[in-house]
Amino acid sequence: MELNANAFGRSARKALLDKTLQEALGRTTGRFLAHRDAAVAAFPEFEATRERASRIKRDVLDHLDTYLARFIEEAEKRGTIVHVARDAGQAREIAARIARDEGVTLAVKSKSMASEEISFNEALQGAGVTVVESDLGEFIIQLAGEAPSHIIAPAVHKTREEISRLFERHLGEPRTDSIPELVGMARKHLRAKFLSAGMGVSGGNFLVADTGSVVLVTNEGNGRMGTVLPRVHLAVVGIEKVIPRMADLPTFLRLLPRSASGQTISSYVSIVTGTRRAGDPEGPERMHILLLDCGRSAILEGKYREILKCIRCAACLNACPVYQSVGGHAYGWVYSGPIGAVLTPLLVGLPEAAALPDASTLCGACADVCPVKIPLPDFLLELRSDAREQGLKTPGEIAAMKGYAGVMKRAGLLEAIERIAGVLGQFFTKGKGIGGLPYPFSGWTERRDFPAPAAQPFRKQWKIRRGVTR
Amino acid sequence: MNERESLFHRLSAACGGHGAAAEEPLPGGPSAAPEGDRVARFVETFTAAGGFLLRGPVEAALSDLGEMLRAEGVTSLFFPEDDAAAREIAEALVPFGPFILTTGAEVRGGSAAVTAGFRAAEAAIAETGTIVETSAGGKTLLPGLIADVHVSIVPVASVVARMEEALAAFTADPPRNISFLSGPSKTGDIEQTLTVGAHGPKKAIALLLPP
Repeated sequence: MELNANAFGRSARKALLDKTLQEALGRTTGRFLAHRDAAVAAFPEFEATRERASRIKRDVLDHLDTYLARFIEEAEKRGTIVHVARDAGQAREIAARIARDEGVTLAVKSKSMASEEISFNEALQGAGVTVVESDLGEFIIQLAGEAPSHIIAPAVHKTREEISRLFERHLGEPRTDSIPELVGMARKHLRAKFLSAGMGVSGGNFLVADTGSVVLVTNEGNGRMGTVLPRVHLAVVGIEKVIPRMADLPTFLRLLPRSASGQTISSYVSIVTGTRRAGDPEGPERMHILLLDCGRSAILEGKYREILKCIRCAACLNACPVYQSVGGHAYGWVYSGPIGAVLTPLLVGLPEAAALPDASTLCGACADVCPVKIPLPDFLLELRSDAREQGLKTPGEIAAMKGYAGVMKRAGLLEAIERIAGVLGQFFTKGKGIGGLPYPFSGWTERRDFPAPAAQPFRKQWKIRRGVTR
Repeated sequence: MNERESLFHRLSAACGGHGAAAEEPLPGGPSAAPEGDRVARFVETFTAAGGFLLRGPVEAALSDLGEMLRAEGVTSLFFPEDDAAAREIAEALVPFGPFILTTGAEVRGGSAAVTAGFRAAEAAIAETGTIVETSAGGKTLLPGLIADVHVSIVPVASVVARMEEALAAFTADPPRNISFLSGPSKTGDIEQTLTVGAHGPKKAIALLLPP
């Protein structure tokens, strides 16, 4: 996928002016969040399960070499062909080679964020293979020629009218404003693809080390169709998705659907292992797994390694006030929201995405909902400091922060400024926010309102409330 | 050094100094525990997942089941050749039709009829309202995959409390496919409106058979 992360400011402004998107975002994030909260409240063991999942993932990261080796050994024992790609270019080459060698001309794909990282569809199209997205949301945005805007609801920004127009143009279907009818049209069209495709392509929510299994979680059943019906199955998965044993899977299955959509469990969980066995009436004759490093081993080595615990539930997106306001496309790459603001700079390099760690209010809502306890706000702050060290902040920004720190460290100076600001503020702003400050602060107020200084500073109010006056 | 060796070289460097991997599952789980009446809990969770539950004895349930299938417009029934329980129910339903019997292969070949696929469940999970189907021993997955309505035959003895129990049989050498099916195929991808039948069955029915 094309990288455009440093245009966050511009893209965000565009998103804020997009009325359809604003309505969709309000509806979606609010609903996901409410369902998630209800599901967590109805599950008293959520906190204990979360702690356990976090510990399992930490154990995996501490011994990823061991667990990944075990996974590969077990998978190969059962007839799976395992490929390893260092970067996106290599992954594209391998994927195209697999499709060519298998004689595939049509592939059906279920949702996979990892495949977006490597621009998988373009790679296969380059090899003469038609790739059809089978997740309804992904299918819609593929017809529209767009990129997903939410991990689990990629087409949140599309209305039924827009979708019906797309189906009319691309599938020759009559116009309708009935959602069930639209779903039925996609079902009919995609069913034919599932039955004729030579290869099913999937991601992988989990890789089970002790059995060499790939686990897929979907609500629509497309992951299941694509791994049962076509002759070849290719799973494209990041190396960090491994979990130690089958017995650990329920822990994660208790967290993922609840955190993602508030469901106790998703409609379909498929655990697929190796090729079809002798006597099996269905299942692929050939099974490939393409394991992606693509920057992960480098992350593992550094201070942000816990970001690799992520199970891609998107709870942090829904909880984030910035995501709620600007949606996924503004983040300019595959991953959006708080996870995107941390993961994108780590995967593509901080200079290419230095704008993203700033796309946060550091309110901490993301860490509160994260089912594997990733310290997202700490990482966002740390990345900002890395950006400064790497010379990615403007001199104005650095000077302003230095000045701010200098004032905050001196109580007397702060008090004096507060007094002057209080008087001037009341005079100039009449208690309203400040929309535009003069240079060098204009950059800051370009995208935010500065609150009007209070007539009485907080510290003074605090003293009065505590009964300390002077 | 090939690409795989090079990856493991990088991983070993990044993982150094953490000692051996945990050989046993970490303590503290599993506990998401619907103890007590497993069957009652399954009825509750399966229904919450959007499934429809009918309770045996078979003779009594047949007319309700026939009515449900007719309401969905079902005209063709199919079941795995070697699944005696599914065959028995499907054949007994024919008089409640108009239903004709067909095969999975025919449906896969592209049948225009509205179909119901029958299959005996290998287990059912009370915790999540899940029907477990696997390809172990050469069993087919088509009834729960490509039918418009999926009818699972669930003996009460096959209901387990948690996911762990359902997976215990497969920790050593799993079959190609283990499927957890919880309710009908769903999507919320258009305007976040829950709609059934995105790809798989539009209706999931479980027929719970007494011992």
